[in-house]
Order: sequence, then C-alpha cells, then structure tokens
Amino acid sequence: MPGRMSDPSDSLVPFSPDVRDPVVYSLHHDLKAPISRLSISWSKGNCLRVSFFGKKSSNSSAEGSGNSNDQIGGKVVEVKLSSEDGEIDEAQKRRIAYGSVSPFALLQSRKNSMSLLSKMSMGSSTYHVEWWEHVMEYSKDINLLLGSPKPLPSPVIEDPKTVLKAMEKPTCLKAAWELMEIFYADKQSQAWLPESLVDWLADYDNLLSETGTTVYSKLVDLQKELVTLQAVEDNPKYWEGISSALAVGWLEIVVKLLRLHGSYQLDQLGNRETENGLVEAVAVLISKMPRIRTELAVGRLGECYKTKPDFVKAWEKWRGQITKLECSAFWVQCDHRQTREGLKNVLQIMLGNTNSLNTVTSHWIELYISHFLYVRPFTMGLESMYSLAQKCMQLKPTSSTHRLMGLLLGILGENTEVVLAECSRSFGPWMVAHAVELLTAGSKQAEILLHEERYNLGGISIEELHRLVYAQILSSHALTWQIAPIYLTSCTKQGMGLLEILLYKQPIQHNHLLLKSLEICRLYELDSISSNIMKIAGIHHWKHGKKGSGIFWLQQAQDEVRLNRIAQQLFDFVGKSISDESFKQWEGLIELLGSEARTVGGLEFLHKYRDFKKSLQQVQDGHITDAARQAVESLILLMKNPSTPQRFWLPLLHDSRTGPGIEAEKRGSLVKLLNWSEHPLLNISQTNLLLNKLQELSMAKLHPDFIEADLPPHALNSVRLALATNLGRAFLEE
Amino acid sequence: MEKPLVMLDKGTNCSSWNYCGQRLATGLLDGTLVIFDSLEPDSSTFTCTSRTKAHGASITKVIWVPPEYGDAVACICADGTLLLWEEVEEGPQLLKWKLCKLFESNATQVLDVQFGISLTSLKMVVAYSDGHVKVYELLDPLLLNKWQLQAEFQNVIDSVAMCGKASCLSASISWNPQISESHHSSFVLGFNSDLPQFNSSKVWEFDEAHQRWLPVAELALPGDKGDQVYAVAWAPNIGRPYEVIAVATCKGIALWHLGLNADTEGRLSVEKVALLSGHEGEVWQMEWDMSGMTLATTGSDGVVRLWQSNLNGVWHEQAALVSTS
Amino acid sequence: MAMVAEGVGTLQIHRISQPKYIDALRWLSPLSAFERFAVLALHDSDSDVSSIEIQALNRSNPSNLHLQSSWASPARISTLRVSQIPQKPLVAASTYMGSLHFLFTDPVDASLESELSLAEKSFHAGPISGIDLQGTGSECVSVGEDGRVNLVTIGDSKLNYRRVFDSHGLVSYTAAKWASPAEFATGGLGFSLQYWDQRKPGGAVSQFKGNWGRGNMSEIVHSIDIHPSRKHILLAGGSSGTVFAWDLRWQKQPVLLSGIVPGETVVSPSESEVWEVQFDCYMQSATIGNISSGQILPVMMCSEDGILAVIKQGEQPMEILAEPCAINSFDIDKQNPSDLLCSLEWESIVILSRQ
Repeated sequence: MPGRMSDPSDSLVPFSPDVRDPVVYSLHHDLKAPISRLSISWSKGNCLRVSFFGKKSSNSSAEGSGNSNDQIGGKVVEVKLSSEDGEIDEAQKRRIAYGSVSPFALLQSRKNSMSLLSKMSMGSSTYHVEWWEHVMEYSKDINLLLGSPKPLPSPVIEDPKTVLKAMEKPTCLKAAWELMEIFYADKQSQAWLPESLVDWLADYDNLLSETGTTVYSKLVDLQKELVTLQAVEDNPKYWEGISSALAVGWLEIVVKLLRLHGSYQLDQLGNRETENGLVEAVAVLISKMPRIRTELAVGRLGECYKTKPDFVKAWEKWRGQITKLECSAFWVQCDHRQTREGLKNVLQIMLGNTNSLNTVTSHWIELYISHFLYVRPFTMGLESMYSLAQKCMQLKPTSSTHRLMGLLLGILGENTEVVLAECSRSFGPWMVAHAVELLTAGSKQAEILLHEERYNLGGISIEELHRLVYAQILSSHALTWQIAPIYLTSCTKQGMGLLEILLYKQPIQHNHLLLKSLEICRLYELDSISSNIMKIAGIHHWKHGKKGSGIFWLQQAQDEVRLNRIAQQLFDFVGKSISDESFKQWEGLIELLGSEARTVGGLEFLHKYRDFKKSLQQVQDGHITDAARQAVESLILLMKNPSTPQRFWLPLLHDSRTGPGIEAEKRGSLVKLLNWSEHPLLNISQTNLLLNKLQELSMAKLHPDFIEADLPPHALNSVRLALATNLGRAFLEE
Repeated sequence: MEKPLVMLDKGTNCSSWNYCGQRLATGLLDGTLVIFDSLEPDSSTFTCTSRTKAHGASITKVIWVPPEYGDAVACICADGTLLLWEEVEEGPQLLKWKLCKLFESNATQVLDVQFGISLTSLKMVVAYSDGHVKVYELLDPLLLNKWQLQAEFQNVIDSVAMCGKASCLSASISWNPQISESHHSSFVLGFNSDLPQFNSSKVWEFDEAHQRWLPVAELALPGDKGDQVYAVAWAPNIGRPYEVIAVATCKGIALWHLGLNADTEGRLSVEKVALLSGHEGEVWQMEWDMSGMTLATTGSDGVVRLWQSNLNGVWHEQAALVSTS
Repeated sequence: MAMVAEGVGTLQIHRISQPKYIDALRWLSPLSAFERFAVLALHDSDSDVSSIEIQALNRSNPSNLHLQSSWASPARISTLRVSQIPQKPLVAASTYMGSLHFLFTDPVDASLESELSLAEKSFHAGPISGIDLQGTGSECVSVGEDGRVNLVTIGDSKLNYRRVFDSHGLVSYTAAKWASPAEFATGGLGFSLQYWDQRKPGGAVSQFKGNWGRGNMSEIVHSIDIHPSRKHILLAGGSSGTVFAWDLRWQKQPVLLSGIVPGETVVSPSESEVWEVQFDCYMQSATIGNISSGQILPVMMCSEDGILAVIKQGEQPMEILAEPCAINSFDIDKQNPSDLLCSLEWESIVILSRQ
C-alpha cells in the first residue's frame, strides 16, 4: 500500500503475490566481545535459534575486570518469526487458536459430506442455500472468539449525559473479520452493504482514532466537557459533535445530544418555545430517517424499508419534510444564533450537502459512510462502491493507510489476492487460514483462484498453502502443536507430509507427551511414524538406565532388530561369573524380553539357562537335594535342546563350577552336583548324553571355525573327569 | 522478538541442536564438549548437564547422530580427527558422555560428516580434505563403535578423467531428509578446493542392486562447475513433485529443482530456479525450515537472511536479522 | 476470565480459562462451610514458571475464582495430592526434576503456612511419576520411572525418607495409591500392578500383569484408586481406554470395565489414554446397598480424547463431558461428591456440579 513503511512489528508475510524489500530486524546478543561466527537452527515450527560466538580475546583475562560477563563466550537466542502486533497477547492468541478448532473442523466435515452429497444428487440450489448458512454459522462462531458481542442497549436508568458508553475496546482483528463476514459470508447483508458498513463503522470507528481525528474521538472529547458545561448550545463543539455523529448515522447519539439542548429545561421552556420547537422538530425528523435495510436493533432510530420502491417513497417524503422545515418561517424567530446555525447545518447534512459532509467528517471512511446515508443511498455493486471510496480518499488523504482500510479497499477492489495479502500482512496466518473459507464462499472466481493447484507452490493451492503456514505457526508452541493436525489433515496434498515431520520432532523423554504424540498417530493411522517414535523412546530409555522402559517401547515399536541385539547382549552373560545384583538385572531383562512373543532369537535358550542358573544358586544357598535335582533337569534339557548353541556347551557344563554369586569355597559345585554325596543325580543315559556332547565338542575343536570358550584350559578335562566318576557311581546305583 | 535461551562458555566455537530442540551440544576451542538440556517437559530453560574434555584439539563442528541410535554426537576437530561421543548410563542412574569411536586423521583431514538413516541402517558420509568421500555403515544398532566402510569415492562424475590430488578447504554434505521404502538413500556434496572438477555439487544415490554409490545429478551450470561450494542444503519435501536443493557458491545462493524420476541413463533432471545474492562474502550455513518453504542462511557478513518464494515461484529475501550488541 | 454457564440436564458447568497450563488439580476442603478451595498446579509457558495456586470458590457462584495463595515451584509439577483431613490440610506435589514438596495450609482460609521440601539427588533419578499421601497425612509414597519406591515420613519440621525398593530401572512405576496404613499399590508399564506391604520388605507381595495381547498399543497404567471400604480391589486406568479392577482375592482375572480388548464385549467410552480414575462416591450411599460385594463400585474416568464419564459394571457408561481437547485430570470433592473439577488441555478448568 502506498506510504506503508516496513516497520519491525509487522508479521512476517509469507507468500504475497509481489516481491518486497526484506524486513530488517535487529537481534541483540549483548556480548561484549565482537562476534566471530554465528550458527542457525530451526526449532519447532517457525522458531529460529541463532547462536552467537564471541571472538576469543586473549587480553580479557589479563584485564581482569571481574565482570561475570567476561566468562560468557556466546549466547543462543530464539526468534519467533510470527510475532505480530501487540494488540492481542500470547495467551489470548492461544485461546483464539483453541476456539477456532471446532468451528473449522465442523465446516470441513460439512464440506466433505456436502461434496459427497452433491456428487450423488443434483439438488444444487438447496445445496447452495445450506452452504451459505454453514459458512455464516462458522463465521459467527469465529467472530464470537474474537471479543464479546456488543452489549444490548439497557433501557434501565442511564445517565442522560452519557452519550458514549464505555466499552471494552474492540480489536482490529475482530473488525477485520466482520468486514470479511459482511462482504463474503453474510448473504443477507449483500443487498444492504452500505447499511452494513454504517453499522460496522459505528462499532470500530474508535480503532481509526489511533492514527488521527475521527468522529469518535471528537465525541470522546465532547463527552468529557458535557459533564461540566452549563449551556451546551453555546459551545460550538456541541454542534460539531451533533453534525459529525449525524453524518456517520449515529442517530441515537444525535437525538440524545439534541435533547440536552438548554431549551428543554423546564425553567427555559417558556421563553425559548420556538427554539425548542425547532430542536425537537429536527430530532423527530432524524429519528424518522428512512433506512434501506431489513431491521434495526431495539432502541435504534430510523425507519426500515425492505424494498427500494417503498424506501424511495419514504425518502422523498422525508426529504420533503426537511426542505419544508428549512424554509419554515420559525427560523427568523429563533434568536439563539448557535442553535439556528447548528440546526441549519444539521439539515444540510440530512439533505446531503457534500460540502457540509466534508466539513463534519474527519476520516475518509466517515465521509464515505455519510455519502451512503445522505447522498447515494442506492449505491449498489462493489464497482461503484470502490469508485466512491477512491473519491472520498482523494478528498481526505491520509499519510498512512490503516490496516483495516487496506483490507476494505482490497475487498472493494474485488482483488482476492490483494485481500489475502492484506489479511496475511496485517492480521497474520491465523486470519488468512480461517478467512479463506469466507473468501471461497464469497465468489466462484475466488474459489477457483484459491483452489487451483500451482506448480510454483509445489503442486498445492493457495488455500492449502495458507493452512500449512498456519499449522507451522501452531507447531512453534508446545501448547498449540497438537491442534496443527486438524489443519494439516484438511490439506490433501502436503498436510500429511508436514504432520509426519512435526510428529518426528516431538520430544519423547516424558511418557505423557510421548503418549499425546502417539494418540495423534493413532487418530490419523500413521503407524510407521508411531513405531519410529516408540523406537526413539526405546533406545533413549535403554541407553539411559531405564532398561525396563527401553524394552517396553522397543516391544511396542515391534523393533525386532534392536530387541534381537539386546537378546544377543544377554548371551554374553552365559558362563560368566556375575554378582548377585547383576544376575538380578540379567534375570529381569530376560523376564521383560520374554513377555513378548517367541520371535526373539534364542530366547528359549536364555529362559532355560535362567532356570538352570537359579537352581544352581539355590544349591549354593543350601536348598540342597530338590534344587540340585532341578538343576540337573535344567542342565539336561539345555544340553538336549537343539537351540542351545554349541559354543555354550562347555560353559554350561563348566558353569556349575562358577555359578552365580561365587565364593571360593563354593567353587566346584558341578563336581558337587556330579559327585552328589547321597546318590548320583545323573543316571547312565544322562551321563552318556553329556559325555557324547563333550566328545562332539572335542571333535569340533579341530574345525577352523570353532569358537573357543573363554574358560580355563583344564575345563574340559575336569568336566570329563567328573562325568566319568558319575558314570561309575550311576552304574553301581542301577 | 528474541528470547535468550543459553549463555555459552568462553571459547565456544560451534553448536548444534538435537532433533527435537531439547538438547544443545557445543564444542570449544580447547576441545571440550558442553551439553545443555531442557529437563522438564515443554520448558525453555536450559541447564548445562555435561562438560567433557573430548579431544586435545579444538572442536570445529558438532553433529547429532539420529535419535534412533541414541543420544550421541560426532565432533570434527581442528586436527582433522572425527570422534563419536555418546551419553550412556554409567553406574546406577548416572549418565555420562563417553567416547565410543575415534577416526584418526592421517595425512587427510575430516571436513564434514553427516548421518543418513534408511529403513534398515545408519549411514555416515565423511568428506576428507583430499577430496575423498567415505561412506560408513553401522553394524549394530545398539553400539555406535562398530562401523563398516561401505564405499569410498571422489566427488567427480567421471572417475576416469580424474587427475591430480585435490587440496580442499571445506566440504558440505546434505542428506535427502526423506526416509521411505520407495526412496534410495541419497545426498548432495560439494567441495571448496583447488581442483575445479571436485567442487561442483553432485547428488549421489545408493544403487541397492549393485551396492554402490552413483552420481545422479550435478548442480552447476556448465560455466560454473569449478565454483567453490561453501554450503549445500537439501530441503524437506512434504509432497512437492520435485526436490529443492540450495547450493551456496562464491556467486551466490542457487536454488535447484531436482526431478524425482531418473532418465534412461539414471540421471535426474535439474533446473536452476533462482540465484540469490545478499550475503557479501562466504555463506557459512544454510538451513531449511520443517516445511521446506523458508531457507535461513548465515554468512561472513554476520546477517541471518530468510528466503521464500512468492505465489509466482519467485524467490526473494523475506527478512534479514542483523545482530547488534 | 471467560466463563460460560450452561445447564445440561441436572448438570451445572462452569468453564474458566486460565492463561496457564494446568498440570494437576485437586479440591481442598477446609473447615469453613462457606468457602471451598481448588489447588492448581500451573505452568506458564510464556515465562516458563511453575506454581501452585490455591483458589477460593464461591459456593453460590462457582465460576468466581479468586486467588487465595500461591507458591512458586522450582520445577514443573508432575503429581498433586491433598490430605483428606480438614483439620490438617496438606498439599503434596512432586516434580519432573525429582523433588517432593509439602505445603501446610491454614485449616480455615487455606493460606500457606509453611513448606517442606525433599530435593536430594539420591531420592529419585529423574521425574517422580506418582505420589500418594496416606489418610493421616503423615506418610507419602513416591514412585518414578527410575524404578524407585520411596516412603517419606512427614514430621512437623523435617522429612525423612527410606527406600522401599529399587528396580534399578528394570521396572518403571507410573502411579501409586495407599490401600491401608501399611499397604499400598503401584502401577507401571505393560498394565502392571504391584501390591506392597511395609511389614513384608524386599519386594511387592502381589503382582499383576495385564496382557491382553493387542499388538502395538501402548499399555501403561496412569492412575490407581482404592476404595477405603474395599482395600483388596485395585482400580487402574491406562492406555487405550482401559479401566480395570484387580481383586487381590481372585488374582488371575481382572475385571475389565472399559477398553478395547479382543474377545471382550465391554462398551468403552474412550479409546485413548485414560489419565485418571477415581471411585465415584456420588449417590453411592443410596445405592451402595444394591451393589453386591462382588461388584465394582461406580468409577469416574477422564481421557485424552476429551471424555469424562462414569462407568458402572455391566451398564452403559454415562458421559458427563465430551470436550474437543484432552481432559488431563479431574477430582471429586470428597465432602461434596456431587462437585467435580477437571483440567483441560486448552488451558482451562471446568467446575461441574451434579444435582
């Protein structure tokens, strides 16, 4: 827009149709030393993290200023690129983001079912009517989020001197949304656009006061003085206020002000009868002003006419009455000059005298509105509205364009791209992503423009692009990223791609955050992402001492590769002497791995080995015979089982010598097992089995691939000896 | 607009954020590795959790290993060595950073290293100062010390025409960020060297059938092939019908579109769509945002610049972040 | 504060939006008959500050909250408990940094009187995931993903703790609940439950592992409740909409109250994480006579998919709230069981009263 400066409080505008000069921001690093280098990294969404590294100054320590800042060699800052104007604080912005989810989702689901229906049936006209209603409902829901609705006029006791009610200040965002609603969503208002704009300005004129004088700001000044003024009619500001308010159609305020006229006071009534009669006549005429609109809210003045002929008739009649009053002889009898002139000016406004209108209005839009009300009440069509706006702007040029005016001109100019760019630049990605729904509902041409897939955008439409941009903004904050999927899933081309990246970047250390991510994966059936996230969590916990959680998440991820590797690591314990504590850990891990299906390689062996090891331990703890028998059973099972790797045969047999929790005097418990004092624990066939295994092992030793167990050299012989002894005893026994 | 996150130690030389932005690894001139963590959920408060002397020489670059393989970083040191450090449990619930692998430097130095994950394995590409590239593969997903050299080649299209020994100042590698079954592993690599044919950025793709790496595209116009490359960055692709790669040379930042499907000779189509100038002097680093729509760059002018394409596909500088004290 | 009051049948709902994330919340019912208090554990994401606030609720206009007292927490709060004795209102809060804090409040106006903290490195490694205060408020059990189970004795000016068990990370605990002055229950991954008896040291006296074989659906217990009159029944809520009761007397078979389990025909009000479960004592006195001792008492649960519901064994679940965002926690006012507090993901709380 002409005269617009790139001020740093502006939002970063992505994807406007034109190319502009870059916005320059400054980043404060607060480092004493000059910067030697910087490094950048994108964080979530559109947060950029910048690291500054200071130059290493060799003399800084020599100076020894003692400043703690000297020890700082650099700084990392986070830059949020969507920081918009300060009109709405962060918490409020999040509240708007949360609140818009349901209306948006509802509209999308309606759109989907509509398109399904329209494919099946031909009833396109009924379809259209309904669709307008849905869009309007959506627009109303969103509007409600942006600020409380206008308070209803309270007929209760009011201070007669309060012409302007103190209200919570509306936001430009709400004003902008209502503009969009008037022009695109509200089918009812299409025929009454000028009157809708009159109402709109009545609500938001005070927003324009930030940049200059407005009717609103004049009235605020007047209000302050009213309380102290005695004879208001003597003050020119009083008449100015009346004329200005009348020009923009704030009839209630005008009438209220008129009735503050001194001639109404009981003690004055007698000698100012004519004067009072004129004031009252004008007030009555004003309150009967014909309006071309469907309805007026309770307490609003004017008379509504729904059809043009009716309105024209009433308008002519009303103008006739004004002219009649203007020519009336009573004016001569009115000796209060200010009243006479003030009222005459009011009549000129009502008659649509353009010079008067120009004088009493401040901002071009106020002049514009006054033209609608008093000069060209039948202005129809955006084209003529646009040319009128340009005329008014020429008459009342402004040094800078208010963002609301920028938007309005875009709308009147019927340029969808400009409207979008204005929305984006001035009101940010939230506005664009949500207003696109109104725009597409507004016109076929806009719908085509916004839904057309563009190669330059990577094959997506402008609508999708703006949703992606908004979703990325949502992703920047830990509390809003979870609603980004709602918008991403409405993006048919690239939404899921971005959602996958978004989910991948979520932290996994804390279970409840992890589960919230997994829930989103579940909802959108992103199984591979969900197992990848669980895999990351599994490895994190496994390597950080939470072995239980680690195995749990790897099992959830069905990561057979890593689970297998873990099982392989457990094999390393076989035949090793380990402390009670690590045996417990080892046993616990087997337990954890074992709860899953039998797919993990060699687990069966580990389980049997665990049983054997446990029995052995009990033998050492003194639970003699039963445990010993148990141990032998387990040993035989292990040795018989083909799944037991050959490399473990000797360690297993030897194991009993170096069982868990070894102590020197307990060594040689294999010998104890084999040379059991009461009777041999192994029968002949069992002993033979073990001897055969030993023989097999001796043969295998000659093979080049043989893996030598990490055991003392005499291990084989001592086991063989023990077995031989046992064989002898078993013979005797049987 | 900016929010301070971390104060860095004196002598900090480089930094790197992990995949979720919760951990920051920094390398110091004296060879110390310093880690900052945000320990609570959704917190922006960072505390230093480890200071470990990683090496005798200064650390010039830190790169995080993908999270599927634990919390580990690769450090490139000024003497050309490459180290892998990993955070593991030591003793009951006590975490410690430990060296798990050291790749010694001989005559050649390591210039850049980047990790790429495929569905089955972790690959590490290392670029050396003699213009050689080595690709290693991790053998055991639980142990970061078992690497196997999978391939070694030079960054040239036609290996027959290769001549002489290059001396490279810097190298830049960027993996195709996409992991999927339909995609082969691929990365782009460019050198800043004294031998022109090594410099230009080439896209290398892994040929599963023959277990070898092939150059499938060259990102330089005929007249620019000798241009020294400062940095390369492969954009995330969330659904575009083409890939986007940024290449920074002495002539500026070029943006390339790379076709998705190979022609009969196995080459991918390339198109240079923009040449962006802004940074005076060398470009240090280029980073794409998560959607691949905004490119952030830094350079020797000390300015962070953000680049975007408009609705008509025209790339332009969107914003500049100028640092002031 | 934006608030909406709507009448849904015989339910009064007040929504109060907070500009902060609610990590946990509890009722605090002091001696005063006119006022009630809500204890909120809050996290301000803009300033990254955590705190506990005690807000007074007006009985006649519940949406009118006003801040009674607040305490700045050194870390984000993971669990919050309040002792149920009106004479000695005590708030216990555990943090993600592994510290445990006790706030003593005035029995009349709920102002903060004193604070005791346990922040030793050896207490828990990493976050504390579950705590529970014993009925008398003299002991607190704490568990963590580090696999430690600790018992804290709360003195007037001093805290002592002893380690009941340490799995060294082999088992991670996610929830804890007292059953009697000597016994308590814990829960963890894989829908596991453990029952502990202080008089029998060395490990849990009973263990349960819910294995419903549902592929790669996460199975974590998030919350446990035990009814004071039936300490042998452990109620647990967790992943995939699962709520089940485990009767120590019939250990093999848990009673599934909600959840998607192949082969079971239970109507599940939710399919996602059940963050909290509590026995619903509302209307119970009237109907308790009709519930046989073998039946599970009515249960209230809240879930990630925004459901607050009451489940009665063998009946259709009764939905109380269905929100577009997660309901992260709730609390039933023990003195006035018709009244409920819930915290929503979208930085707001809901006060409900059933009439």
